[in-house]
Amino acid sequence: MRAVRWFIALAILAGLGWRWPLFHVVTLKSATAAKAAATYNPGQFAETFWASHLPATLAQAVPSATLLPLLQSDPAAAKKQFSRSVGVSDSYFYCLSGRGRVVAITDEAVIVAVIDGNSNAVVALQTGLVFGDAVRDGPGWLNASDYPNSQDFNDLSAALNHLVETRVLPPLRAQAKLGATIAFAGCAAVEDEAADLKPLKVIPLQIGTP
Amino acid sequence: MNAHTKDLFKKLQPLIALAVMALALTLLSDKFLTVANQRNILLQISVNLCLSIGMTLIILTGGIDLSVGAMLGLAGAVAAGLLKNGLALKVCGVVLQFTPLGGMVAGILVGLALGWFNGMAITRFKLPPFVATLGMLSIARGLTMLLTGGFPITDLGPAFGFIGAGFWLGVPMAVLISAALVLIFYIVSRHTTLGRYIYAVGGNEKASAFSGVNVNRIKLWVYALGGGLAAVAGLLVTARLDAADPKAGLGYELDSIAAVVIGGTSLSGGRGSILGTVLGCLIIGVLNNGLFLLDVSPFWQQVVKGLVILAAVAADKLGTRRE
Repeated sequence: MRAVRWFIALAILAGLGWRWPLFHVVTLKSATAAKAAATYNPGQFAETFWASHLPATLAQAVPSATLLPLLQSDPAAAKKQFSRSVGVSDSYFYCLSGRGRVVAITDEAVIVAVIDGNSNAVVALQTGLVFGDAVRDGPGWLNASDYPNSQDFNDLSAALNHLVETRVLPPLRAQAKLGATIAFAGCAAVEDEAADLKPLKVIPLQIGTP
Repeated sequence: MNAHTKDLFKKLQPLIALAVMALALTLLSDKFLTVANQRNILLQISVNLCLSIGMTLIILTGGIDLSVGAMLGLAGAVAAGLLKNGLALKVCGVVLQFTPLGGMVAGILVGLALGWFNGMAITRFKLPPFVATLGMLSIARGLTMLLTGGFPITDLGPAFGFIGAGFWLGVPMAVLISAALVLIFYIVSRHTTLGRYIYAVGGNEKASAFSGVNVNRIKLWVYALGGGLAAVAGLLVTARLDAADPKAGLGYELDSIAAVVIGGTSLSGGRGSILGTVLGCLIIGVLNNGLFLLDVSPFWQQVVKGLVILAAVAADKLGTRRE
Protein backbone atom coordinates (compact mmCIF):
# COMPACT_ATOMS: atom_id res chain seq x y z
CA MET A 1 0.00 0.00 0.00
CA ARG A 2 2.84 2.35 0.93
CA ALA A 3 4.61 1.55 -2.36
CA VAL A 4 1.45 2.35 -4.30
CA ARG A 5 1.16 5.75 -2.56
CA TRP A 6 4.77 6.52 -3.43
CA PHE A 7 4.17 5.46 -7.01
CA ILE A 8 1.11 7.71 -7.30
CA ALA A 9 2.96 10.67 -5.75
CA LEU A 10 5.89 10.21 -8.14
CA ALA A 11 3.55 9.87 -11.11
CA ILE A 12 1.81 13.15 -10.15
CA LEU A 13 5.17 14.90 -9.73
CA ALA A 14 6.35 13.58 -13.10
CA GLY A 15 3.13 14.82 -14.74
CA LEU A 16 3.49 18.26 -13.20
CA GLY A 17 7.15 18.38 -14.23
CA TRP A 18 6.22 17.47 -17.80
CA ARG A 19 3.48 20.14 -17.94
CA TRP A 20 5.48 22.82 -16.15
CA PRO A 21 9.14 21.87 -16.52
CA LEU A 22 11.57 23.03 -13.85
CA PHE A 23 14.51 23.15 -16.26
CA HIS A 24 15.54 22.51 -19.85
CA VAL A 25 18.69 20.72 -20.90
CA VAL A 26 20.72 22.77 -23.38
CA THR A 27 24.23 22.34 -24.69
CA LEU A 28 26.96 24.37 -23.02
CA LYS A 29 27.79 26.09 -26.31
CA SER A 30 24.27 27.32 -27.08
CA ALA A 31 23.73 28.43 -23.45
CA THR A 32 26.86 30.60 -23.63
CA ALA A 33 25.74 32.14 -26.92
CA ALA A 34 22.22 32.87 -25.62
CA LYS A 35 23.62 34.52 -22.50
CA ALA A 36 25.80 36.87 -24.53
CA ALA A 37 22.84 37.86 -26.74
CA ALA A 38 20.56 38.61 -23.80
CA THR A 39 22.83 41.08 -22.03
CA TYR A 40 21.02 44.37 -21.31
CA ASN A 41 22.53 47.37 -23.06
CA PRO A 42 21.29 50.60 -21.45
CA GLY A 43 23.01 52.78 -24.07
CA GLN A 44 21.20 51.09 -26.92
CA PHE A 45 17.91 51.17 -25.03
CA ALA A 46 18.30 54.90 -24.28
CA GLU A 47 19.12 55.57 -27.93
CA THR A 48 15.95 53.89 -29.16
CA PHE A 49 13.92 55.52 -26.46
CA TRP A 50 15.31 58.98 -27.18
CA ALA A 51 14.45 58.67 -30.87
CA SER A 52 10.91 57.39 -30.33
CA HIS A 53 9.75 59.45 -27.31
CA LEU A 54 11.54 62.80 -27.49
CA PRO A 55 9.18 64.54 -29.98
CA ALA A 56 6.08 63.69 -27.92
CA THR A 57 7.81 64.85 -24.74
CA LEU A 58 8.79 68.18 -26.26
CA ALA A 59 5.27 68.68 -27.61
CA GLN A 60 3.89 68.36 -24.07
CA ALA A 61 6.42 70.73 -22.43
CA VAL A 62 4.84 73.69 -20.64
CA PRO A 63 5.51 77.04 -22.39
CA SER A 64 7.98 79.04 -20.33
CA ALA A 65 5.74 82.10 -20.78
CA THR A 66 3.11 80.22 -18.76
CA LEU A 67 5.27 78.48 -16.20
CA LEU A 68 7.88 81.05 -15.23
CA PRO A 69 5.58 83.97 -14.29
CA LEU A 70 3.51 81.58 -12.17
CA LEU A 71 6.68 80.22 -10.56
CA GLN A 72 7.60 83.78 -9.61
CA SER A 73 4.18 84.79 -8.31
CA ASP A 74 2.86 81.54 -6.82
CA PRO A 75 5.36 78.62 -6.73
CA ALA A 76 2.87 76.37 -4.92
CA ALA A 77 0.28 76.82 -7.67
CA ALA A 78 2.93 76.21 -10.33
CA LYS A 79 3.99 73.03 -8.56
CA LYS A 80 0.41 71.81 -8.30
CA GLN A 81 -0.45 72.60 -11.91
CA PHE A 82 2.68 71.76 -13.89
CA SER A 83 5.09 69.62 -11.87
CA ARG A 84 5.54 65.88 -11.88
CA SER A 85 6.90 63.80 -9.01
CA VAL A 86 7.82 60.15 -8.66
CA GLY A 87 6.31 58.02 -5.89
CA VAL A 88 6.33 59.71 -2.49
CA SER A 89 9.50 61.67 -3.21
CA ASP A 90 9.56 65.33 -2.11
CA SER A 91 11.52 66.41 -5.19
CA TYR A 92 9.62 67.22 -8.38
CA PHE A 93 10.21 68.05 -12.02
CA TYR A 94 9.14 70.58 -14.64
CA CYS A 95 9.35 70.16 -18.40
CA LEU A 96 9.28 73.46 -20.23
CA SER A 97 10.02 75.05 -23.58
CA GLY A 98 10.48 78.60 -24.78
CA ARG A 99 12.73 81.23 -26.30
CA GLY A 100 15.21 83.54 -24.66
CA ARG A 101 18.16 85.86 -25.02
CA VAL A 102 21.54 84.79 -23.67
CA VAL A 103 22.48 87.22 -20.90
CA ALA A 104 25.39 85.39 -19.26
CA ILE A 105 27.61 82.38 -19.82
CA THR A 106 29.36 80.52 -17.02
CA ASP A 107 31.36 77.27 -16.92
CA GLU A 108 28.28 75.38 -15.80
CA ALA A 109 25.34 77.14 -17.48
CA VAL A 110 24.02 79.49 -20.11
CA ILE A 111 21.74 82.07 -18.48
CA VAL A 112 18.81 82.94 -20.70
CA ALA A 113 16.30 85.77 -20.17
CA VAL A 114 12.98 84.48 -21.43
CA ILE A 115 11.48 86.74 -24.07
CA ASP A 116 8.04 85.15 -24.40
CA GLY A 117 5.18 86.76 -22.46
CA ASN A 118 5.55 89.56 -19.95
CA SER A 119 8.00 87.73 -17.71
CA ASN A 120 11.39 89.06 -16.65
CA ALA A 121 12.38 85.54 -15.60
CA VAL A 122 15.68 83.86 -16.38
CA VAL A 123 16.51 80.18 -16.61
CA ALA A 124 19.91 78.52 -16.34
CA LEU A 125 20.44 76.00 -19.14
CA GLN A 126 22.93 73.54 -17.70
CA THR A 127 26.04 72.96 -19.81
CA GLY A 128 28.19 70.96 -17.38
CA LEU A 129 28.09 67.24 -16.66
CA VAL A 130 24.52 66.04 -16.31
CA PHE A 131 23.67 64.31 -13.03
CA GLY A 132 20.44 63.16 -11.46
CA ASP A 133 17.23 61.74 -12.83
CA ALA A 134 15.56 64.80 -14.34
CA VAL A 135 15.95 63.54 -17.93
CA ARG A 136 14.61 60.09 -17.06
CA ASP A 137 11.85 61.06 -14.62
CA GLY A 138 10.95 64.62 -15.64
CA PRO A 139 9.08 63.92 -18.88
CA GLY A 140 7.15 61.02 -17.30
CA TRP A 141 8.03 58.79 -20.23
CA LEU A 142 9.24 55.97 -18.01
CA ASN A 143 7.65 54.23 -15.07
CA ALA A 144 9.99 52.92 -12.37
CA SER A 145 7.70 49.98 -11.65
CA ASP A 146 8.23 48.77 -15.24
CA TYR A 147 11.88 48.26 -14.29
CA PRO A 148 11.98 45.84 -11.37
CA ASN A 149 15.78 45.91 -11.51
CA SER A 150 16.70 49.27 -9.98
CA GLN A 151 20.24 48.98 -11.35
CA ASP A 152 18.87 48.84 -14.92
CA PHE A 153 16.72 51.88 -14.17
CA ASN A 154 19.73 53.79 -12.81
CA ASP A 155 21.86 52.74 -15.79
CA LEU A 156 19.14 54.04 -18.10
CA SER A 157 19.26 57.40 -16.34
CA ALA A 158 23.03 57.56 -16.80
CA ALA A 159 22.67 56.62 -20.50
CA LEU A 160 20.02 59.32 -21.11
CA ASN A 161 22.18 61.90 -19.32
CA HIS A 162 25.07 60.87 -21.55
CA LEU A 163 22.91 61.45 -24.64
CA VAL A 164 22.17 64.98 -23.42
CA GLU A 165 25.86 65.60 -22.81
CA THR A 166 26.86 64.41 -26.28
CA ARG A 167 23.88 65.47 -28.43
CA VAL A 168 22.45 68.63 -26.87
CA LEU A 169 25.15 70.40 -24.90
CA PRO A 170 27.77 70.81 -27.69
CA PRO A 171 25.39 72.75 -30.01
CA LEU A 172 24.15 74.78 -27.04
CA ARG A 173 27.70 75.79 -26.11
CA ALA A 174 28.35 76.65 -29.78
CA GLN A 175 25.22 78.81 -30.13
CA ALA A 176 25.53 80.51 -26.76
CA LYS A 177 26.84 83.96 -27.56
CA LEU A 178 25.91 86.95 -25.42
CA GLY A 179 22.82 88.58 -26.88
CA ALA A 180 21.95 85.61 -29.12
CA THR A 181 18.39 84.32 -29.11
CA ILE A 182 17.84 80.58 -28.71
CA ALA A 183 14.89 78.26 -28.46
CA PHE A 184 15.06 75.57 -25.83
CA ALA A 185 13.12 72.68 -24.30
CA GLY A 186 14.20 70.77 -21.25
CA CYS A 187 13.54 69.47 -17.79
CA ALA A 188 14.31 70.84 -14.35
CA ALA A 189 14.51 68.98 -11.05
CA VAL A 190 13.55 70.84 -7.89
CA GLU A 191 14.89 69.32 -4.69
CA ASP A 192 15.62 72.47 -2.71
CA GLU A 193 13.17 75.21 -3.68
CA ALA A 194 15.36 77.99 -2.28
CA ALA A 195 18.32 76.94 -4.41
CA ASP A 196 16.76 75.35 -7.48
CA LEU A 197 14.11 77.92 -8.41
CA LYS A 198 16.25 81.06 -8.50
CA PRO A 199 16.96 80.68 -11.33
CA LEU A 200 15.31 77.45 -12.51
CA LYS A 201 18.08 75.06 -13.55
CA VAL A 202 17.02 73.39 -16.78
CA ILE A 203 18.70 70.41 -18.38
CA PRO A 204 18.21 71.07 -22.10
CA LEU A 205 16.77 68.28 -24.26
CA GLN A 206 16.57 70.32 -27.45
CA ILE A 207 18.19 73.54 -28.62
CA GLY A 208 17.41 75.51 -31.75
CA THR A 209 17.24 78.92 -33.30
CA PRO A 210 13.83 80.60 -33.09
CA MET B 1 -12.50 46.71 34.62
CA ASN B 2 -13.53 43.01 34.76
CA ALA B 3 -11.36 40.14 33.56
CA HIS B 4 -13.21 39.77 30.25
CA THR B 5 -12.78 43.46 29.38
CA LYS B 6 -9.11 43.33 30.36
CA ASP B 7 -8.58 40.28 28.16
CA LEU B 8 -10.37 41.94 25.25
CA PHE B 9 -8.34 45.13 25.70
CA LYS B 10 -5.12 43.12 25.71
CA LYS B 11 -6.09 41.33 22.50
CA LEU B 12 -7.02 44.59 20.83
CA GLN B 13 -3.87 46.43 21.95
CA PRO B 14 -2.02 46.03 18.59
CA LEU B 15 -5.12 47.10 16.67
CA ILE B 16 -5.57 50.18 18.85
CA ALA B 17 -1.87 51.06 18.45
CA LEU B 18 -2.18 50.73 14.67
CA ALA B 19 -5.32 52.87 14.54
CA VAL B 20 -3.70 55.61 16.67
CA MET B 21 -0.59 55.62 14.47
CA ALA B 22 -2.64 55.74 11.26
CA LEU B 23 -4.73 58.61 12.60
CA ALA B 24 -1.68 60.59 13.70
CA LEU B 25 0.07 60.07 10.36
CA THR B 26 -3.05 61.05 8.42
CA LEU B 27 -3.04 64.35 10.28
CA LEU B 28 0.71 64.90 9.97
CA SER B 29 1.28 63.92 6.32
CA ASP B 30 -0.95 64.50 3.29
CA LYS B 31 0.77 61.62 1.49
CA PHE B 32 0.04 58.92 4.07
CA LEU B 33 -3.50 58.09 2.98
CA THR B 34 -2.81 58.12 -0.76
CA VAL B 35 -3.47 54.88 -2.63
CA ALA B 36 0.13 54.76 -3.86
CA ASN B 37 1.48 55.03 -0.32
CA GLN B 38 -0.92 52.44 1.10
CA ARG B 39 0.07 50.06 -1.69
CA ASN B 40 3.69 50.82 -0.93
CA ILE B 41 3.20 49.91 2.74
CA LEU B 42 1.51 46.62 1.82
CA LEU B 43 4.31 45.82 -0.63
CA GLN B 44 6.96 46.58 1.95
CA ILE B 45 5.39 44.48 4.69
CA SER B 46 4.75 41.51 2.41
CA VAL B 47 8.34 40.28 2.82
CA ASN B 48 8.35 40.74 6.59
CA LEU B 49 4.96 39.05 6.72
CA CYS B 50 6.30 35.87 5.08
CA LEU B 51 9.22 35.80 7.52
CA SER B 52 7.03 36.61 10.49
CA ILE B 53 4.49 33.85 9.83
CA GLY B 54 7.30 31.29 10.16
CA MET B 55 8.77 33.16 13.12
CA THR B 56 5.36 33.12 14.85
CA LEU B 57 5.15 29.33 14.56
CA ILE B 58 8.70 29.00 15.88
CA ILE B 59 8.17 31.40 18.79
CA LEU B 60 4.86 29.69 19.60
CA THR B 61 6.87 26.51 20.29
CA GLY B 62 9.14 28.52 22.61
CA GLY B 63 11.99 28.76 20.09
CA ILE B 64 13.59 31.52 18.07
CA ASP B 65 15.22 31.68 14.63
CA LEU B 66 17.95 34.25 14.06
CA SER B 67 18.81 32.89 10.62
CA VAL B 68 15.67 33.80 8.66
CA GLY B 69 17.28 36.88 7.08
CA ALA B 70 20.33 34.88 6.00
CA MET B 71 18.15 32.03 4.65
CA LEU B 72 16.17 34.64 2.73
CA GLY B 73 19.37 35.86 1.10
CA LEU B 74 20.62 32.37 0.26
CA ALA B 75 17.30 31.16 -1.16
CA GLY B 76 17.09 34.24 -3.38
CA ALA B 77 20.67 33.78 -4.53
CA VAL B 78 20.14 30.09 -5.34
CA ALA B 79 16.98 30.82 -7.32
CA ALA B 80 18.60 33.73 -9.16
CA GLY B 81 21.83 31.83 -9.81
CA LEU B 82 20.03 28.83 -11.28
CA LEU B 83 17.74 31.03 -13.32
CA LYS B 84 20.49 33.26 -14.67
CA ASN B 85 23.36 30.84 -15.11
CA GLY B 86 21.72 27.42 -14.92
CA LEU B 87 23.55 24.46 -13.53
CA ALA B 88 26.48 23.55 -15.76
CA LEU B 89 27.32 19.86 -16.00
CA LYS B 90 30.62 20.33 -17.79
CA VAL B 91 31.39 16.60 -17.91
CA CYS B 92 28.28 16.05 -20.01
CA GLY B 93 28.71 19.30 -21.96
CA VAL B 94 25.21 20.46 -21.01
CA VAL B 95 23.58 23.11 -18.86
CA LEU B 96 20.37 22.62 -16.88
CA GLN B 97 18.69 25.91 -17.75
CA PHE B 98 16.16 26.50 -14.99
CA THR B 99 12.74 27.96 -15.72
CA PRO B 100 11.39 30.66 -13.34
CA LEU B 101 9.26 27.97 -11.68
CA GLY B 102 12.33 25.72 -11.35
CA GLY B 103 14.33 28.53 -9.75
CA MET B 104 11.53 29.20 -7.27
CA VAL B 105 11.13 25.53 -6.37
CA ALA B 106 14.91 25.23 -5.87
CA GLY B 107 14.94 28.33 -3.65
CA ILE B 108 12.10 27.04 -1.50
CA LEU B 109 13.74 23.61 -1.21
CA VAL B 110 16.92 25.29 -0.01
CA GLY B 111 14.94 27.20 2.62
CA LEU B 112 13.15 24.04 3.77
CA ALA B 113 16.47 22.17 3.97
CA LEU B 114 18.17 24.90 6.00
CA GLY B 115 15.18 25.14 8.33
CA TRP B 116 15.17 21.36 8.71
CA PHE B 117 18.89 21.53 9.55
CA ASN B 118 18.08 24.10 12.26
CA GLY B 119 15.40 21.78 13.59
CA MET B 120 17.81 18.83 13.62
CA ALA B 121 20.44 20.82 15.51
CA ILE B 122 17.87 21.83 18.10
CA THR B 123 16.06 18.52 18.55
CA ARG B 124 18.75 15.89 17.94
CA PHE B 125 21.84 17.71 19.20
CA LYS B 126 19.92 19.65 21.88
CA LEU B 127 21.50 22.96 20.93
CA PRO B 128 19.68 26.04 22.23
CA PRO B 129 17.67 27.58 19.35
CA PHE B 130 19.55 30.86 19.80
CA VAL B 131 22.92 29.16 19.23
CA ALA B 132 21.82 26.76 16.49
CA THR B 133 20.20 29.46 14.39
CA LEU B 134 23.05 31.90 15.05
CA GLY B 135 25.34 29.28 13.52
CA MET B 136 22.98 28.90 10.56
CA LEU B 137 22.97 32.68 10.12
CA SER B 138 26.71 32.61 9.60
CA ILE B 139 26.62 29.49 7.38
CA ALA B 140 23.90 30.87 5.12
CA ARG B 141 25.56 34.28 4.80
CA GLY B 142 28.86 32.63 3.90
CA LEU B 143 27.22 30.35 1.33
CA THR B 144 25.43 33.34 -0.21
CA MET B 145 28.74 35.18 -0.60
CA LEU B 146 30.38 32.08 -2.09
CA LEU B 147 27.53 31.61 -4.53
CA THR B 148 27.34 35.23 -5.69
CA GLY B 149 31.01 36.15 -5.34
CA GLY B 150 29.81 39.19 -3.39
CA PHE B 151 28.07 40.70 -6.43
CA PRO B 152 24.34 40.94 -7.18
CA ILE B 153 22.90 38.51 -9.74
CA THR B 154 20.73 40.69 -11.98
CA ASP B 155 18.44 40.52 -15.04
CA LEU B 156 16.26 37.63 -14.02
CA GLY B 157 13.52 38.33 -16.52
CA PRO B 158 9.90 39.47 -16.37
CA ALA B 159 8.42 36.02 -15.71
CA PHE B 160 10.37 35.69 -12.46
CA GLY B 161 9.92 39.37 -11.63
CA PHE B 162 6.14 39.00 -11.87
CA ILE B 163 5.81 37.51 -8.37
CA GLY B 164 7.59 40.48 -6.83
CA ALA B 165 6.71 43.39 -9.09
CA GLY B 166 3.64 42.20 -11.00
CA PHE B 167 -0.03 42.88 -10.37
CA TRP B 168 -3.12 40.71 -10.51
CA LEU B 169 -6.51 42.45 -10.54
CA GLY B 170 -4.73 45.65 -9.56
CA VAL B 171 -3.17 44.13 -6.44
CA PRO B 172 0.61 43.53 -6.21
CA MET B 173 1.43 39.83 -6.50
CA ALA B 174 3.71 40.01 -3.45
CA VAL B 175 0.75 41.19 -1.37
CA LEU B 176 -1.48 38.44 -2.75
CA ILE B 177 1.12 35.78 -2.03
CA SER B 178 1.69 36.94 1.53
CA ALA B 179 -2.09 37.21 2.08
CA ALA B 180 -2.52 33.64 0.82
CA LEU B 181 0.20 32.46 3.21
CA VAL B 182 -1.50 34.27 6.10
CA LEU B 183 -4.75 32.49 5.29
CA ILE B 184 -3.10 29.07 4.96
CA PHE B 185 -1.11 29.37 8.17
CA TYR B 186 -4.01 30.86 10.07
CA ILE B 187 -5.98 27.73 9.21
CA VAL B 188 -3.00 25.50 10.01
CA SER B 189 -2.46 27.13 13.40
CA ARG B 190 -6.13 27.22 14.41
CA HIS B 191 -7.83 24.28 12.75
CA THR B 192 -5.32 21.46 12.35
CA THR B 193 -3.66 18.95 14.63
CA LEU B 194 -0.26 20.42 13.82
CA GLY B 195 -1.46 23.85 14.94
CA ARG B 196 -2.83 22.53 18.22
CA TYR B 197 0.41 20.65 18.87
CA ILE B 198 2.46 23.80 18.18
CA TYR B 199 0.54 25.68 20.88
CA ALA B 200 0.76 22.67 23.19
CA VAL B 201 4.54 22.30 22.80
CA GLY B 202 5.05 26.02 23.46
CA GLY B 203 2.64 26.04 26.40
CA ASN B 204 4.19 23.10 28.22
CA GLU B 205 6.72 20.94 26.42
CA LYS B 206 6.93 18.22 29.06
CA ALA B 207 3.18 17.89 29.43
CA SER B 208 2.87 17.66 25.64
CA ALA B 209 5.49 14.90 25.51
CA PHE B 210 3.70 12.99 28.30
CA SER B 211 0.45 13.39 26.35
CA GLY B 212 1.97 11.58 23.39
CA VAL B 213 2.91 14.54 21.23
CA ASN B 214 6.12 13.94 19.28
CA VAL B 215 7.72 17.21 20.38
CA ASN B 216 10.85 16.80 18.26
CA ARG B 217 8.86 16.17 15.10
CA ILE B 218 6.68 19.22 15.71
CA LYS B 219 9.80 21.37 16.19
CA LEU B 220 11.40 19.93 13.06
CA TRP B 221 8.27 20.79 11.08
CA VAL B 222 8.12 24.28 12.51
CA TYR B 223 11.76 25.15 11.79
CA ALA B 224 11.53 23.64 8.29
CA LEU B 225 8.39 25.69 7.60
CA GLY B 226 10.17 28.77 8.96
CA GLY B 227 13.00 28.15 6.49
CA GLY B 228 10.56 27.57 3.63
CA LEU B 229 8.70 30.80 4.39
CA ALA B 230 12.01 32.70 4.63
CA ALA B 231 12.80 31.31 1.17
CA VAL B 232 9.46 32.58 -0.17
CA ALA B 233 10.33 36.00 1.29
CA GLY B 234 13.71 35.73 -0.45
CA LEU B 235 12.03 35.01 -3.77
CA LEU B 236 9.75 38.04 -3.35
CA VAL B 237 12.70 40.33 -2.58
CA THR B 238 14.74 38.94 -5.46
CA ALA B 239 11.86 39.15 -7.91
CA ARG B 240 10.96 42.69 -6.86
CA LEU B 241 14.51 43.96 -7.29
CA ASP B 242 15.11 41.73 -10.32
CA ALA B 243 18.39 40.98 -8.57
CA ALA B 244 19.72 38.69 -5.85
CA ASP B 245 21.67 40.95 -3.54
CA PRO B 246 24.25 39.02 -1.46
CA LYS B 247 23.37 41.26 1.48
CA ALA B 248 19.61 40.78 1.11
CA GLY B 249 17.80 40.13 4.36
CA LEU B 250 20.49 41.65 6.57
CA GLY B 251 18.81 42.42 9.90
CA TYR B 252 15.39 41.22 8.72
CA GLU B 253 15.24 38.71 11.57
CA LEU B 254 14.97 41.62 14.02
CA ASP B 255 12.02 43.17 12.18
CA SER B 256 10.42 39.75 12.02
CA ILE B 257 10.85 39.04 15.76
CA ALA B 258 9.65 42.58 16.50
CA ALA B 259 6.49 42.08 14.41
CA VAL B 260 5.71 38.80 16.19
CA VAL B 261 6.24 40.28 19.66
CA ILE B 262 4.35 43.48 18.89
CA GLY B 263 1.53 41.31 17.56
CA GLY B 264 1.12 39.81 21.00
CA THR B 265 2.93 36.47 20.68
CA SER B 266 4.69 35.57 23.91
CA LEU B 267 8.44 35.00 23.63
CA SER B 268 8.08 32.13 26.11
CA GLY B 269 5.76 30.31 23.70
CA GLY B 270 2.23 28.94 23.75
CA ARG B 271 0.41 32.26 23.31
CA GLY B 272 -0.09 34.34 20.20
CA SER B 273 -1.64 34.22 16.76
CA ILE B 274 -0.94 34.69 13.07
CA LEU B 275 -3.45 37.54 12.90
CA GLY B 276 -1.63 39.31 15.75
CA THR B 277 1.57 38.98 13.72
CA VAL B 278 -0.17 40.53 10.71
CA LEU B 279 -1.01 43.52 12.92
CA GLY B 280 2.57 43.58 14.20
CA CYS B 281 3.87 43.70 10.62
CA LEU B 282 1.42 46.48 9.78
CA ILE B 283 2.52 48.47 12.84
CA ILE B 284 6.19 48.16 11.88
CA GLY B 285 5.42 48.93 8.22
CA VAL B 286 3.31 51.99 9.08
CA LEU B 287 5.94 53.12 11.59
CA ASN B 288 8.75 52.85 9.00
CA ASN B 289 6.65 54.58 6.37
CA GLY B 290 5.44 57.30 8.72
CA LEU B 291 8.91 58.14 9.99
CA PHE B 292 10.11 58.32 6.39
CA LEU B 293 7.23 60.58 5.33
CA LEU B 294 7.88 62.84 8.31
CA ASP B 295 11.51 63.06 7.22
CA VAL B 296 12.82 61.64 10.49
CA SER B 297 16.51 60.74 10.38
CA PRO B 298 17.14 57.00 9.75
CA PHE B 299 19.15 56.92 12.98
CA TRP B 300 16.15 58.15 14.95
CA GLN B 301 13.97 55.66 13.09
CA GLN B 302 16.02 52.83 14.58
CA VAL B 303 15.74 54.34 18.06
CA VAL B 304 11.96 54.70 17.76
CA LYS B 305 11.57 51.14 16.47
CA GLY B 306 13.65 49.82 19.36
CA LEU B 307 11.50 51.73 21.86
CA VAL B 308 8.29 50.34 20.32
CA ILE B 309 9.64 46.78 20.61
CA LEU B 310 10.66 47.36 24.24
CA ALA B 311 7.23 48.77 25.02
CA ALA B 312 5.51 45.77 23.40
CA VAL B 313 7.60 43.22 25.32
CA ALA B 314 7.20 45.17 28.56
CA ALA B 315 3.42 45.24 28.08
CA ASP B 316 3.43 41.49 27.45
CA LYS B 317 5.52 40.77 30.55
CA LEU B 318 3.39 43.05 32.69
CA GLY B 319 0.23 41.35 31.49
CA THR B 320 1.67 37.88 32.13
CA ARG B 321 2.78 38.84 35.65
CA ARG B 322 -0.69 40.17 36.51
CA GLU B 323 -2.33 36.99 35.23
